[in-house]
Amino acid sequence: MEGKKGNKQKCKLSAMAKREERWGLLFVAAPAAGFLIFMLYPIIFAILTSLTTWNGAKGFQGMMDRFCGFDNYVKLFADKKFWQTLVTTTIYLLGIPIGMILGLLCAMGMNRKIPGVRVLRTMYYVPVISSLVSVSILWAWVYNYDYGLLNTIIKTLTGMHGPNWLGDEALIKVSMIIFMVWKGLGTSIILYLAGLQNIPRSYYEAAMVDGATGWQKFKNITLPLLSPVTFYILVTTLIGGFQVFVEVQVMTPSGNGGIGYSAATIVFYLYQKAFESFQLGYASAIAVILAIIIFIITLINFIGQNKWVKTMD
Amino acid sequence: MKKKIVSVLLTTVLLASCLSGCGGDSASADNTSAGTSESQASAGTEEKVGAQITVDKSATDNVKVEGDFSGADLTVFIYAQDHEKTVYQTLIDKFMETTGANVTFEVTTADEYGQKILAYKAANDMPDIIYVGPDTVAANVDDGYILPLDEYVSEETIADLWPAITTAYRYDGKEAGKGPIYCLPKDLSTFAFAYNKTLFDEAGVDYPDPENPYTWEEFLEVCGKLTIDKDGDGEIDQWGCANALQWALDAFIYTNGGHFLNDDYTQVVIDGQQEFIDAFQYFADLTCKHGVTPTVEQDTALGGYQRWLDGQVAFYACGTWDVGAFMDENTFPYEWGLCAWPTGSTGVSMTRNGSVGFAVSADTQYPEAAAALITLFSTDLEGQRVLSGETTGASLQIPNTMSYAKGDFKDRIADGTIPYGDNVDVIFNYIEGTDKYEGIFVETTYTYNADWWNEFLSGGYEYVLTGEKTAAEYCAEVQPAMQAALDNANDMKAAASGQ
Repeated sequence: MEGKKGNKQKCKLSAMAKREERWGLLFVAAPAAGFLIFMLYPIIFAILTSLTTWNGAKGFQGMMDRFCGFDNYVKLFADKKFWQTLVTTTIYLLGIPIGMILGLLCAMGMNRKIPGVRVLRTMYYVPVISSLVSVSILWAWVYNYDYGLLNTIIKTLTGMHGPNWLGDEALIKVSMIIFMVWKGLGTSIILYLAGLQNIPRSYYEAAMVDGATGWQKFKNITLPLLSPVTFYILVTTLIGGFQVFVEVQVMTPSGNGGIGYSAATIVFYLYQKAFESFQLGYASAIAVILAIIIFIITLINFIGQNKWVKTMD
Repeated sequence: MKKKIVSVLLTTVLLASCLSGCGGDSASADNTSAGTSESQASAGTEEKVGAQITVDKSATDNVKVEGDFSGADLTVFIYAQDHEKTVYQTLIDKFMETTGANVTFEVTTADEYGQKILAYKAANDMPDIIYVGPDTVAANVDDGYILPLDEYVSEETIADLWPAITTAYRYDGKEAGKGPIYCLPKDLSTFAFAYNKTLFDEAGVDYPDPENPYTWEEFLEVCGKLTIDKDGDGEIDQWGCANALQWALDAFIYTNGGHFLNDDYTQVVIDGQQEFIDAFQYFADLTCKHGVTPTVEQDTALGGYQRWLDGQVAFYACGTWDVGAFMDENTFPYEWGLCAWPTGSTGVSMTRNGSVGFAVSADTQYPEAAAALITLFSTDLEGQRVLSGETTGASLQIPNTMSYAKGDFKDRIADGTIPYGDNVDVIFNYIEGTDKYEGIFVETTYTYNADWWNEFLSGGYEYVLTGEKTAAEYCAEVQPAMQAALDNANDMKAAASGQ
């Protein structure tokens, strides 16, 4: 009986509840619709496209007329350029730990009361908010063989001509990594700074009482308590690292992917296939494989986080 | 205190690295400028020039438009520089005023055009008038996107266009160059060769004779005389020529009887083909063996186009779209003339022609009106006068209509109304063809896409230019990837045309 009564009571409140419910649904509808239209639909469309040899012609029907099963994937795994660009993309990821270490060091430096620290913090963040295309052009000039800042410094200091930073298969990768570290440093610094400022001073005071050295405090307090920030930076930069495109397009001579395609990333290759060769099916297959790779790596990160990510709780 | 000092030092060092990004823009050149302008050969993409040209709208006051297209609603989607946009907008205004049609004019950049057209195609919502190049006519026809124009454009109009153009835009469903015509040209360009007269005078070298193109041996000898260490610091600072391989290699391959593909464009045939290998090796030797061009490293620092503008090279390619820039004293303060590319074993100087054309969408509801409008764009005399420089003083293309090109246009060059380098006949020779000159559409024009050519460009050809590989080795190495790309293109063509 009580249960029925309870139900009735619920029904009595329903006028107001329904109104709230409607509003609630409306609020939920916006992000849900956004997800369906801008995420789920394109994902399904891309997967479907990857099973065709569609070149963009004749809309959806044109696409389905060119169904080819898993042919694109078979071709992709035998495609040397796919593997070459995947390896290059992976090499670029070496910049992530470098950027994280430098970011942490800078953040620790800026977490002290030193003159002009606010100005420094702002300046380090400038590359992050600058247009990627603009700073890529700028760095292409820094690396310029004859007129670049780097080679001018090298020539001034050593009297010898510096290397061809963007014209050598190995050096162009190094150049790209340096640029990407520079570009992303500001983000790491800001996040680490916020993390550092969140660590209660009492932890360090207690450690001091126990006679801990600076290194011990860093190793046993700072690093563990920054691990959530480190985890966040790792996950986001890994995802971003697999999607490098603009730097390659802008910094390689004539946007050709560098000598022997040595600087080309997987997304650069995808772009060329989609918008220069109009092989949308093949490009979608690359996109699907890339999405799977990113998904697996992110999954591994999340599974592994229990082992090294610590919180203050 | 110690820690503070370390902190300050650390942040300062990294700050210096941050600031270094702000100090690199010391030179005034962009080594991609040549690539940009050349890759859009038919578009006349000299931004500097474009920005300097002003078009007087009254120049098209005398445009004659006929027909009544009341109720027609057309959309034109092309890429154009500002001055071109002004010309076409003026013609559109006149067209709307006279015929009663409504025209929506949408303009984008050449870089974005391909992507946007792709979006229109995917959405099945094609504009009525678009740009189509000779290399994409077959694909567009196979996919049913563009309309044959023979029924809508008078024979007289087509007969007055350069034969090279009309051939480029014909397609019979199997072969390019035959069948109905699908586009009226926006332009016809050719990639001629130019020399800096001032540098020739300084070196005491005779000017090239357009009537007798250099052989490769003669060309090398002349380039040697023009390659100079001008300031005596032990480093070369003036070169005989500068070549961007992606645009200039054709001129060496074809004149030597070489070619990339077999006759039916199904096989890549560069491996072991002596004519091709000799030409490529000669091209590379100019750089790595004879040193008459900037080195690969120097070329990445500053491209040949900018070195030409700076008076550092004696010979450089000159597209018809470049003339306006080269005649502008602020851009190129030197005397210059046109000449032939040097000749290989065939004895005929060869180069690439280029074009882009106006096509009418197969889905248009107003084919007559659309055809009338593109006829106006392509062949209207007043419009041609503006674009070829008679009314602006800066020539960005040669006229599309032969009657004007061979008549008034040439006369206006002769009397100085249209500023032009010496020997304009070189341009006409390449376009019309003579016993010593031939302009051609390169082989990518006749394949479904240019992926096989991109494989050639991305395989590391630079190692041939540096001398680390021979041309023969590179051709053997890159041919399989080129063949795979060509096979793929032919498969796509077969799927599109249902063959």
